[in-house]
Amino acid sequence: MNDSSQLMNAENLLFFGKVNASISHELKNILAIISETSGFLRDLTDLAKQGKELKIDLLESCCESINEDVQRGFSTIKTMNQFAHSVDYPIKEIDLVELLRLIVHLTGFLSYAGKVYIENDDDGNNHDVLTSPFLLQNLIYQSLIFIFNQTGSNNKIKIQMITGEEGTCLIFNSTEKLNTNLFETPEIKKAAQALGIAVTEKVPGQEFKMLIPYASSEIKELADRLQIERSSED
Amino acid sequence: MTDTNKIHLLMVDDEVKFLETITKRLELQFFQITTATNGEDAIEAARTGQFDVAVIDLQMPGIDGVQVLETLKKNHKYLEVLILSGHTTIELAVDCTKLGAFQVLEKPCDFNKLVEAIKEAYEVRLKKKFEHDQERIKQIEALAIGQSPLGILKGLAQMDEDAK
Repeated sequence: MNDSSQLMNAENLLFFGKVNASISHELKNILAIISETSGFLRDLTDLAKQGKELKIDLLESCCESINEDVQRGFSTIKTMNQFAHSVDYPIKEIDLVELLRLIVHLTGFLSYAGKVYIENDDDGNNHDVLTSPFLLQNLIYQSLIFIFNQTGSNNKIKIQMITGEEGTCLIFNSTEKLNTNLFETPEIKKAAQALGIAVTEKVPGQEFKMLIPYASSEIKELADRLQIERSSED
Repeated sequence: MTDTNKIHLLMVDDEVKFLETITKRLELQFFQITTATNGEDAIEAARTGQFDVAVIDLQMPGIDGVQVLETLKKNHKYLEVLILSGHTTIELAVDCTKLGAFQVLEKPCDFNKLVEAIKEAYEVRLKKKFEHDQERIKQIEALAIGQSPLGILKGLAQMDEDAK
């Protein structure tokens, strides 16, 4: 990584825009459901005024539905907020589990994405890493959507977390086979190199390994540069 | 209102709750509804059912709304298709219209506007079918003049073949 301006290059802006578009689409869907349900309540009220029997169970299920979708809306906005704040600090020590959970949640907003499961995320180990939260999110997100674009929404991806001396290893296991090596695609390769993350194919087309060190030399170099930039501005 | 007098709708959306609620509302407006939660099921339903109008969500897993639109318009000449999209752009509206969509509506859509659009689409369908039937009657009348019964039967079979 040459300098901090790489954090805001075109590819990263594209990722940021794509995620925000998927969140807005999800919120629209939620509002559409609430709108139709409240419209249905109005329809039932109009029928009641005409002397038709008002079914209490229908009223109850409408109220429940509205409540569920309001909660779903709040959850989506919370996720949006977490994602928005991921650019607050170019380099930061973060909990890898939290980051992974956020990304899994974000991919869930895509109509073509299948299910993603995280294994060993509550094993009690420390999964902190010093990294660029935004770039790491981009790398993992692009990896997942690359897989789903190739394999479809029936695919299930398992992400296994294994902590060792070298850092935390993420093993992506896809139930559907890919035709290409995920980490040979230019965007993903570039993002991994920028973060100093080693990526390999364990089982051709099906299992991929991403080794995330606590603090790669690339990240340390960038952190040092940013401190130098800050002190020269003072 | 009997089933034969109702407008037969095919509603397609992967958002199950939205589909269920809007179906209930449309049924109160005396539409007869069949639902599908993905493109493949929609295409299969249209193959076996007799629908007047289809309302399709654009973004769905598997076959998306555009592909469903293309397939339905190709296989069902008189089926009118409305598109419901959570993200409508001018380019998208133009593309869908070129593929034969009757109208492109944005989600969340005003319910009365949706009902109005469905009824307009149904009227267009009736008009097209009527014009086609009128044309066919003229062809049969022309065929019947000066032909033997066998000649008429052969002519009718040829007309059916040409219509496929």
